[in-house]
Amino acid sequence: MKEKTIYEHLREKGVSRRDFLKLCGTIAGMMGLEFVAPVKAPGKSLSPSPEEIVAQALKTRPKVPIIWLEFQDCAGCSEAISRSSSPLLSNLVLNDIAIEYHETLMAASGFQAERAKEECLKKYYGKYVLVVEGSPTLAEDGIYCTVAGKSNLDLLKEAASGAAAVIATGNCACFGGIPAAHPNPTRAVGVADLIQDKPVINIPGCPAIPEVTTGTILHFLIMGQLPKTDQLKRPLPFYGNTVHDHCLRRPFYEAGKFAGSFDDEGAKKGYCLYQLGCKGPTTYNACAGLKWERGLSYPVQSGHPCLGCSEPHFWDGGGFYQGQSAPTIRLDKGSTATLVGAGVAVGAGLAGVNALKKSRAKKELKKQQASEARAETENKKEG
Amino acid sequence: MNWTEILNFSRGPLLHVAMIIFIAGLSYRLVRVLLLGWERDKAKNKGSKFWGAIVNYLKGLVVLPFIPWVRRTFRHNELTFIAGGLFHLSLFVILAFGTAHIMVWKSLCGFSWKGLPTPILAFFSATGIISMVILLLNRLTQPVLKLLTRFPVWINWLVVFLPMITGFIMARHLWFKYEVIFSLHLISVSLLLIWIPFGRISHFLFYFFSKTIHGAQAGKRAVTP
Repeated sequence: MKEKTIYEHLREKGVSRRDFLKLCGTIAGMMGLEFVAPVKAPGKSLSPSPEEIVAQALKTRPKVPIIWLEFQDCAGCSEAISRSSSPLLSNLVLNDIAIEYHETLMAASGFQAERAKEECLKKYYGKYVLVVEGSPTLAEDGIYCTVAGKSNLDLLKEAASGAAAVIATGNCACFGGIPAAHPNPTRAVGVADLIQDKPVINIPGCPAIPEVTTGTILHFLIMGQLPKTDQLKRPLPFYGNTVHDHCLRRPFYEAGKFAGSFDDEGAKKGYCLYQLGCKGPTTYNACAGLKWERGLSYPVQSGHPCLGCSEPHFWDGGGFYQGQSAPTIRLDKGSTATLVGAGVAVGAGLAGVNALKKSRAKKELKKQQASEARAETENKKEG
Repeated sequence: MNWTEILNFSRGPLLHVAMIIFIAGLSYRLVRVLLLGWERDKAKNKGSKFWGAIVNYLKGLVVLPFIPWVRRTFRHNELTFIAGGLFHLSLFVILAFGTAHIMVWKSLCGFSWKGLPTPILAFFSATGIISMVILLLNRLTQPVLKLLTRFPVWINWLVVFLPMITGFIMARHLWFKYEVIFSLHLISVSLLLIWIPFGRISHFLFYFFSKTIHGAQAGKRAVTP
């Protein structure tokens, strides 16, 4: 029997054609599909508009099952996606695309849940998208994170082997995140460090912006492949610009007007938060554009500097409220004193050696002069 | 290795090692100079050593820069004097009142002060860079200067110029991605810090050293200008 397309699913659920087309437009915008104004050249047909591309894909393609695994995490990314600002989008992903297995959101538990996963892995082998939340851990063969008696490494390898693509969501799954913070006792790493034979994409953030996760899943569904990525495997439509690039406080940065503390006059006037440790200039994320809570706000808008949560090692980046220009390894008073002491000791030591050499040379010179003088007087006597 | 990793490395271990070499190296240089010793001055004091040092500083930093034509060095080479003066002034303004630099001082000393508006900083950084280019051209075209210039002098110019140009580009957000130019700025700053104890740029410390000694000697002999 032919698999039902997503459009057919939606129609069955009572989604009208109008709502379907609105959804296609939303998805196209979310994916960052660009549309060049149609100027018809003679002999050439117009390329389809982004909505048409999306509509065509949803009409012809079957659902993409998603298996969502969690390792060392706080479930914040799942929490974020379940409260996504676009109910239509999250519904689409949660119900229709669809998430077949999610440990936190599913009703089943225990053996039932395990059986459901095994069935999913078999049924959709080679077709499903594996979404990983939380960091895998390497220490002692992954025993620090086990589910149903299996280590996270085994679980990941097992699930990844039949995946069409792997999406790591949240900083933990992408770069190790907070579990990988110094001294990283569980040897947490990013998913891409372990899965080399499948296409892996990173959606970092703490949590990842839900629209970015759903947008990437939809991109895979509509285009049949993962979006283009940057060096850190982050999808360019969402991570192409820094938070600083689109920041609403940017004019204040350009003018050199900064808030000096969280409650000073500058903060009240909405000045730039750079001096309060904002990591916006080096943080690639869509916060400033997509924002949170239906476009209501994002951290910098609400008065808090960017923490750089979509960048690797953001937890060890020298303190959230320390200026970005400051060195991340600080020289404290003790080590500075030691360094000065070392310099002084070496300098004094060498000066001492020099002084010793000098005094020896002087003595030698005196001896030489004395012997020369003696020889001269003896010569005179003999003469 | 991607640029984010390079930035993490240059903000962390590289800058740390550079600061270690800078502090230990300068302490070493200072001690070596101090322990060279000097002949005991047996002449009786005719004036105040302290006052002599103060006057010498005021003369060198506050008075003469504003009436440079009274100096023979100025009359003989106006270009070097003006470009050199503007370069030093610009460097001081940027290092002391640039917002990003103030954050560095805050992390080192624990306190901060107000920075200057960005357009003023942009003016001074451009002035500093142009002065450096003029000084380089002057050195390349003057035959006597060329003869006097040895290899380390070119390194001195380069290690000072690189942080200035990368800093200017970074602050204006030109051409490069921020993390790329930020990394290049930090790498060049680290180079500068490592080079300072070994090169003549250490005059930023020894200037005050010699200014104090000479001023005190002049004060002692009551020949303070």
